[in-house]
Amino acid sequence: MRLVADSGLWSTAPADRPSTPAPLVAVLEVSGAVLSWTVDDSPDDGATRITFTDLSRADWLWRVVGDSGHVALASVVDDHPSDDPRGIELAGVDIVPGSLGPLRRLALGHWLRRWWPASRRDGIVGLDRALLDVEVAVLTAGAQGFFSDDTLDSDVTGLLTPHAAALITDLRTGDPRVGDLVRAGAGLADEVGLDGVDWLELSAALDDSSAALTMSTGRQDDYALAAGSETGPRGAAAISRGVASISWSAVPPGIFDAAENTVEWTIEEPGTAAVVRAALIGPDPATGIPVQLRSGAITGISALDAAGHARLPLVDTARQPMTESAAWNHDWAATSIQVGAPATESPETRERVRRWARRRLDRPADDAFLAEILAAESAY
Amino acid sequence: MSIFLECPYPVQMSADPQVTAVAAGHPRRAVIEQAWRAIGPGVEVLSSDDGGPLTRTIKRIIDPLVLRLRSNPQYSAPVVTPDCAAAMHQLIVDNAPQLRAAAAWFEVLKLERRRMRIRSGNAQELYFPVCFELAVTKGAPTPEDSDTPAVVLHDIHQGRDRTAIEVLNEYVASPEVVAALTDQLDRSWRDVQGEDVVTGPFLAQLSTVLGSVNSHGASVARQRVWSAVIADTTPYNLGALARIEAGETGELPWSIVTLGLSSVAPQRRPRVHGGLDDSDGGRPLDRTVVDRVRATLRRALDRDALPDVPLLCDEEVDRACAPWGLLGEDKQATLVTGIEVAVELAPLDRSVTSRYALAAQIQARLRKEAYVLHARRYLAEGGPIHPRQQQVIDDLAAYSQPYLSRLWARLHGRDVWQEPCDDVDDVRSLLEGVARSVSLDHRQRIKSMLELQVAG
Repeated sequence: MRLVADSGLWSTAPADRPSTPAPLVAVLEVSGAVLSWTVDDSPDDGATRITFTDLSRADWLWRVVGDSGHVALASVVDDHPSDDPRGIELAGVDIVPGSLGPLRRLALGHWLRRWWPASRRDGIVGLDRALLDVEVAVLTAGAQGFFSDDTLDSDVTGLLTPHAAALITDLRTGDPRVGDLVRAGAGLADEVGLDGVDWLELSAALDDSSAALTMSTGRQDDYALAAGSETGPRGAAAISRGVASISWSAVPPGIFDAAENTVEWTIEEPGTAAVVRAALIGPDPATGIPVQLRSGAITGISALDAAGHARLPLVDTARQPMTESAAWNHDWAATSIQVGAPATESPETRERVRRWARRRLDRPADDAFLAEILAAESAY
Repeated sequence: MSIFLECPYPVQMSADPQVTAVAAGHPRRAVIEQAWRAIGPGVEVLSSDDGGPLTRTIKRIIDPLVLRLRSNPQYSAPVVTPDCAAAMHQLIVDNAPQLRAAAAWFEVLKLERRRMRIRSGNAQELYFPVCFELAVTKGAPTPEDSDTPAVVLHDIHQGRDRTAIEVLNEYVASPEVVAALTDQLDRSWRDVQGEDVVTGPFLAQLSTVLGSVNSHGASVARQRVWSAVIADTTPYNLGALARIEAGETGELPWSIVTLGLSSVAPQRRPRVHGGLDDSDGGRPLDRTVVDRVRATLRRALDRDALPDVPLLCDEEVDRACAPWGLLGEDKQATLVTGIEVAVELAPLDRSVTSRYALAAQIQARLRKEAYVLHARRYLAEGGPIHPRQQQVIDDLAAYSQPYLSRLWARLHGRDVWQEPCDDVDDVRSLLEGVARSVSLDHRQRIKSMLELQVAG
């Protein structure tokens, strides 16, 4: 095993690619370390990157590198300042095959919660939030040996809390795989002390399984909320129009359709403003997400409403409103639209994620989550 | 039984220095797991699916009640010596009957919990220590003893902290008591007189305390410097200086208001009780005596004996009047050391450079933890991913305030229970642990600001 210095911390260094953009990285924060993988990499142990935030808190390390490896790492890291550019070569310390598998799957579950590229335009079906969160919660409880310290990812309660009502609905589908998962989730909720009315109802529904099995209803349509938001008025005389794409790393998940070119903009006459319409996927509203237009010396800034629309008054460098005649004479070819924060990833990165997601839907992987399997089934 | 005879950690009996000089050791958690498996059947409810002890079993039973880390700190090292490993193994295996009985008690309490329709609180977290206590005092549960489970659960869920706090409230409801405490407070406050402070040499010593070491000799030297630091009067004098107008006998190197330790500078004399802002909030040095005692009672849940309330109040008056609101000089020194670390921490700021190796180390961790938020789409690079998060992000910029608030609370606890801060490694890990919990707290807030959207 080889350790390299990574911004003041020691990190194991297989396939050292610190530049992997955020949408492709699955991370897991365990006690004393952050583990990361590239989502579309092969799932072997060598591809894992372990960055030690505090090796003395990583009391699980022996499970991954064996007792002697743990002791060797502890003594070496203690004795070396973590800015040594030469790194450290540790002979005979290797990752125990298979020891990281459950953690990688957990990291993947967290990734699915945040980056799954659900899109109506691209035909990538959304994942059932409640079932995904419950499965991640159950896996987290199973990996409790890696969470001696509370971390961002040890919060089983937080994962379960919002979902009791949705799980009752899920249970009514009568799918035995769903039943098993919901049962596991409800058991966990009982253990961690979730005592809301919804959870009591869920327990009752599980106890009364005969009732649950007969009430088979259709699955919830995750797209329902956003339906119809794409058709905007096109009648007004447009001085110019165009399309732009949303950077996923610039906006929270669960709002926008993850396809390319989903942001339509038009420059319209009355008042000389840009009208922006972004395609939504939901379930969350787009309210308050900032949107900016830049075209040469002309700028406009506003925030989207719940339906993903915004009207941006345009101004020049002197902050004067743009006149209609100026707008007609302006060359709008080099117009850029920024939705959300000033952050970006390349279109190729997004396409790589979509490709990978489609592959998982076409042929569910061995490590697929139930939410993925159900999404794959519903796509047919 | 053979488990009592076989120990997997052959301890070197001969005094051959060449053999014992070989760096050897065992990961602490691995030692515990191996001993746990040697116990065999009967402890399943305390175990995970793979047969090892639950993390909660270790935290709530093994560490505090079997290994007794408070009196056996050598068992708490991440990597323990072969001797320690052997001793730990033996202790755990020797407690096998009690652990099996504790497991049986947990089953009984869980049944009772269901019967009483209690759902609040994490059952393992709340019941594990009690189960072991019952195992030691009563052995395994018997069918005849049908009262105990109900009584125990009633005790836990009615909260004995609430009972103690009621005692406190009754006590300070008496005007005579408050008058006496106020008199004592006036005297005690006047008793603290600082001397002129020269901080240079003291801060130079902190560079060693907060620096890195890469040899045994250097770490011995670092401990020596810390021993000198806690014997130094500078932290005391700085604390005394915090309560007088700047300029008379020098000036603090920091503002106690900016640090979040006090709402005003100079520090005001604390009150015994009441007033408008008699609440949990407020800055550490502003807190009333009664507030401080209440905090102690709340944290006293895990203690064997509840302290005597009048005695606690009496002592707390003197503590509130002491420099930095702490009696122990080692606690005062630790707080001042923590201030020096805190002013260098800024999780979202790449440009920060640190004077101290430990602060740089903590800052590197905070940056990595901020990266996790970015990788999870809870933050854009270095900024909010939704305008709603702006307030929390601004709070993050003032990292020293929550950091020092939490450090002060931990030191206050140690001061009350007279737990020392004389071990430099222990102090350093305290400073690191506070950063860890503040960071987690912040990040959960950043996360929940996004999740609000789901609810609304």
